[in-house]
Amino acid sequence: MTFFKYKKTFYPLVAIASALLIMVFGLVMSRKANCAYFLIGAFVWLALFGCWKGLLRALPLFAIIGGAFALISYYTSGKNAQSAIAMLNRFGAVCLAVVPGMSIQAVAMTRNLSQLHTPRAATLGILITLSFVPVLRGEIKRVREAMRTRGAGSILNPKIFYRAFLIPLVTRLVDISDTLALSIETRGFTLGKSKYTVYKREVINVFDVVYILGLIAGVVLAAVL
Amino acid sequence: MNEEEKVIQAADEQASVVEKQGAGEKKDEDLVIAELIQVAGEQGSVEAKQEKIESVALVDDSDRLFRKYKIKDIVFLAIITACTLVTGAIMPLLVNAPVFGIIQLGLGIQFSLFPVIGMMKVRKPFALLLQSVFISIFLVFMFPPMVFIIVCALVAEVITLLIFRSYKSDWACVLAGTLYMPLTIPLLFMYYRCFYTVTGDEKSAVSMFIGSQNVGAVIGITIAVIAVCFIGSVIGMLIARELKKAGKLK
Repeated sequence: MTFFKYKKTFYPLVAIASALLIMVFGLVMSRKANCAYFLIGAFVWLALFGCWKGLLRALPLFAIIGGAFALISYYTSGKNAQSAIAMLNRFGAVCLAVVPGMSIQAVAMTRNLSQLHTPRAATLGILITLSFVPVLRGEIKRVREAMRTRGAGSILNPKIFYRAFLIPLVTRLVDISDTLALSIETRGFTLGKSKYTVYKREVINVFDVVYILGLIAGVVLAAVL
Repeated sequence: MNEEEKVIQAADEQASVVEKQGAGEKKDEDLVIAELIQVAGEQGSVEAKQEKIESVALVDDSDRLFRKYKIKDIVFLAIITACTLVTGAIMPLLVNAPVFGIIQLGLGIQFSLFPVIGMMKVRKPFALLLQSVFISIFLVFMFPPMVFIIVCALVAEVITLLIFRSYKSDWACVLAGTLYMPLTIPLLFMYYRCFYTVTGDEKSAVSMFIGSQNVGAVIGITIAVIAVCFIGSVIGMLIARELKKAGKLK
């Protein structure tokens, strides 16, 4: 029954495959008019599958930076509108490809990879890399606050940046990594070939199948028509 | 009667044994000597093996080239990869700028500084490869061709190990860090040639990238990328040395 049950997030491998599909197709076909239609269709398709939050986040980025690059492209190519549209298509593909990735949780990706018997070192590394980003942001904020408190000066000065920002940050990261490693070992995690179980298995759903099939159909239509 | 038969049988057997001993005396002696030599040899080899095992156990395994990864190594490499990922988040913007080598120029510092710190803490072969594996899953969403960075890491590591034989030297880490990003230039060049030409709008896809038609410019940009990566690697080495001095990088 889980196959037909509604879920908010994509099956992780389906999300990766769809990101690849959108990105590669967008980059390859950026000069074709159909590419824009495909990207608009993909936008609607992603919104239908509950990715509208990610789309709303990506939209301003696309509008501002994509627009700026399109303008640059327009003027550098001798006021060629097609060149600007191609640039917009490329940016659109990149921004849309990021959206399915936003819907994946780090733990879901790890579970999925564990189910596929990916080496434990790889799954652990990917999990930490993905889930560490918010921690890193917090640490950067703390180091900058410490700089301000001490009156260390501007971060734009290379010497100050190196001495008062970079070294304290890396030192803190080393401390965190030692604590985290100890914590993982205490919980019985090993890198050996010992048996393990996946707490909650990731299952491919009918929505995942419909989603990826819809994207493939869009690619085929855009390429053929 | 039975007892008599048994006695006779025993006597016959004794006689046959004596006969065999007499006939094959020399042969038996040779066999025994051969066995003794073999046993002695085995004992010797066992003793030698035991000595070897004991000596290996007593000596720290830091001398060995290929050592097993520990959890703390993986955790540190993953954390340092997160730093590379966060600072390299400008990649989706750079991939669309039509300037040859712009990705490598823009990301050279980040993709050399942090990997070098990682390699200087985890001085084991394939530390760079592991960092590439960790980051590649996120590069799929940013710019899929950059997933080939795994191949670049492997090539950089092989070259470094062929030259330095290990990561004991700080400069081995610097070399690997310096080669890491510039090696993506030929890969991306091939990617642009293969994929961008599908539309058929231009003969050479790379022509749309500013500076790609001029050989001098290509060489110049490549040298600039190597220089940027070298600077990043050296900064990484200096940071790692400072941490080592502070007792943080054990």
